[in-house]
Amino acid sequence: MLENVLKKLATADPKKMITYPLIVFLAALLVLAVHFPTLGTDLKGGVVITIYGVDANAKDIESLLKAENFKVTVREIKSITGDTRVEIRASTDVNVQRIIELLKSKYPNAAISQTQFGPSLSRTAQEQSLKAISLAFLGMAVVVFLFFRVPVPSLTVIFSALSDMTIALALMSISGLELTQATIAALLMLIGYSVDSNILLTTKLLRRKEESVEEAYLSAVSTGFTMSTTTLGALASLWIISQAEVIDMIAAVLIFGLLADFMNTWILNAGVLKWYIQRGEKK
Amino acid sequence: MNLKKLLLNGRVLLLILVIIGSILTILAQGITYGLDISGGVEITVQLEKPVDQSTMEEVRISLENRLNTLGVKDITLEPWGDQIIKIRVANVTEEEANSIIDTINRQGVFYAEFNGVIFATGADIKRVDQVSYDPREGAWIVPFSISKEAAEKFAQLALGKVGYPVDIFLDPPVNSTLIVSEEIYTIMNSNEFQFVPDAKPLPQRLKEAFNIGIIPYTNQSVEEIAKLAQGKEKVILIGVNGELESSLKNLGIKVEKREPRAGETADEFIRRILGLYGPYRLQEGLTTGEPHTELAISIGGSKEDIAAMRQAQVVSVVLRSGSLPVKVFVEGVNYIPPTLGEQFRKQVVQAGIAALIVVGLIVYLHYRKAKIAIPVVLTSLSEAIAILGVAALIRWNLDLPSIAGIIAAIGTGVDQQIVITDELLGGKRKEKITKRSGILKRMGRAFFVIWASATTTIVAMSFLFKFFVGGLRGFAFTTILGVLIGILITRPAYAEIAKVLLSEER
Repeated sequence: MLENVLKKLATADPKKMITYPLIVFLAALLVLAVHFPTLGTDLKGGVVITIYGVDANAKDIESLLKAENFKVTVREIKSITGDTRVEIRASTDVNVQRIIELLKSKYPNAAISQTQFGPSLSRTAQEQSLKAISLAFLGMAVVVFLFFRVPVPSLTVIFSALSDMTIALALMSISGLELTQATIAALLMLIGYSVDSNILLTTKLLRRKEESVEEAYLSAVSTGFTMSTTTLGALASLWIISQAEVIDMIAAVLIFGLLADFMNTWILNAGVLKWYIQRGEKK
Repeated sequence: MNLKKLLLNGRVLLLILVIIGSILTILAQGITYGLDISGGVEITVQLEKPVDQSTMEEVRISLENRLNTLGVKDITLEPWGDQIIKIRVANVTEEEANSIIDTINRQGVFYAEFNGVIFATGADIKRVDQVSYDPREGAWIVPFSISKEAAEKFAQLALGKVGYPVDIFLDPPVNSTLIVSEEIYTIMNSNEFQFVPDAKPLPQRLKEAFNIGIIPYTNQSVEEIAKLAQGKEKVILIGVNGELESSLKNLGIKVEKREPRAGETADEFIRRILGLYGPYRLQEGLTTGEPHTELAISIGGSKEDIAAMRQAQVVSVVLRSGSLPVKVFVEGVNYIPPTLGEQFRKQVVQAGIAALIVVGLIVYLHYRKAKIAIPVVLTSLSEAIAILGVAALIRWNLDLPSIAGIIAAIGTGVDQQIVITDELLGGKRKEKITKRSGILKRMGRAFFVIWASATTTIVAMSFLFKFFVGGLRGFAFTTILGVLIGILITRPAYAEIAKVLLSEER
């Protein structure tokens, strides 16, 4: 079945191929305009206390803390492996030690971790993130141009990376993942992942000598799919087995981005390149 | 089988040497784990303003001395830039972590005050001895000695004043006006802070010693309060609600607002705002007019009373503190219990092994050849070993993001090996590789893709590495390292191995 779809794609009208991913990109933008992912504690400032390893229940903890007038939000996170962790969030002005004392008295065997980010530290982190993302993106664009030295294919590769990141962000917003330093790192990592499949496709299509465009496309797809499935497999194992939040978040964002990249490489970028080659051949 | 020829190939040989070297380094040096794996606390301390290098060093040493008095092992202090110091303490309990945070927060300018007169400052503290428990008094004792001048001054002040309160302050809000709620005002004037009727009440002592004006808020107009603030550094609103803050700000007055933390009692709140320790009751022996340079502060409680002991330790640190060139604040805290870190590490190792198996399976299903799947998995494994080897060599703190970075790097590594394999196998898998020039051209194409993607990843990640103060430099570091090891060592070696294995197909 997949083979038929791919064959269809290989011979499809380039303009149609370009349309769908663009619609998805616009939809992602729309999602972000309506609801941008919430900033995590490390970017917004605040306190997170997490309880692991006990049968804690968000409601019990909430009433325990509300009884002492703590302004907190509590949520429960269940992982696929069945472990539960409970996360308590508050602003930086609460008495963290008192909360932990209360939790310890109720759950003596719990492992409790805490993270606090003050306002100026989180502001610095925000500035750094913005700087890192924009410079990384620019750097990527320059490198892509230097490697190809042709405007249309280079721009497509760059746009494709942008779209991967945008769609991943939109999926984060939908699934309630927060924008943190970890997820920003993962978004930057997407630049690398996105570029390699796109470069593979572009070199195959533009430098093919012995094959037709369709053949070159199919051979690139075959390689590209194997690449992406192995990466997805590795990330999925990470996501399923690990309980550490940082790792889960990084893995989830990379998975989102790779899924977006499937579409952006093999439909959008392929469409643009086919159109570009056809136009070149006509001239 | 060309095994011998393959093993003697320069690139393969290099890979083998790197792996052996890495394993030896890991065995010899061991891997240094980050706090999120070993457990412990990471505290980000921010300086009030950017400072030069020598001031930074002064602050660092001073903080270090202070923290060392807590008796916690393995404290590292690392300046970041000109305004941040990162403090990492491995393997501590929750309580230890909290007392470290307390200690950092509670330091600065020290004053000892009695009945409205400052009799000693940080410079007068000559020695602070070990905190100990005195069973006769039923209290934790902090013995210390002060300068002769301070002792004489204190002897005169204290003459005949048994039971009067002695206050010590760290960073009191000198020269300011405090607008307090009536409830707070009542507590400040209560016995809690005065002990004996003849002693001056706390607000009066603050006024005389530090020019701190305490005004109960009884709905005075903004103008009235502005008048009270004249010539003062700032106005602090304490437990006062309403729009006073913004109206005063509009008049160009420096205003700060303080509110009790959840769970904080009123007197704890008052002490916190004033930077007040004590008051301590003046013992009879010190009221004879004789100067005593050897003094002690006692904090009542049983020997098992951890809270009393901690309080005594904090006082001891406060006495020792002298004064820092700039004020510092705890801006970030990240605490991971040791047991949890251990669990995370196990999970990550399991995930890594699972990832390798999954990758191997997918590659096998795609090519239906163990001859390809096994080298791909082994190459990835050797890449991970090489990254760990380098990390061990330079004693990089391997934290969770670093490990995620290794797995991400392996992800790209596998991708690139697949590109090489597919190029070698040709567009149609059945096609045989016939001409040597064909192979070179295909390899050229594969390595073009590999170099382009490696360069972009390195460029993108180096910005992350350069700009982040946060914990994600580890992610960037291992990713870059992985990509570099990949393009320089493992990928070329894999290409050689694959060439030999696949050409045997003919």
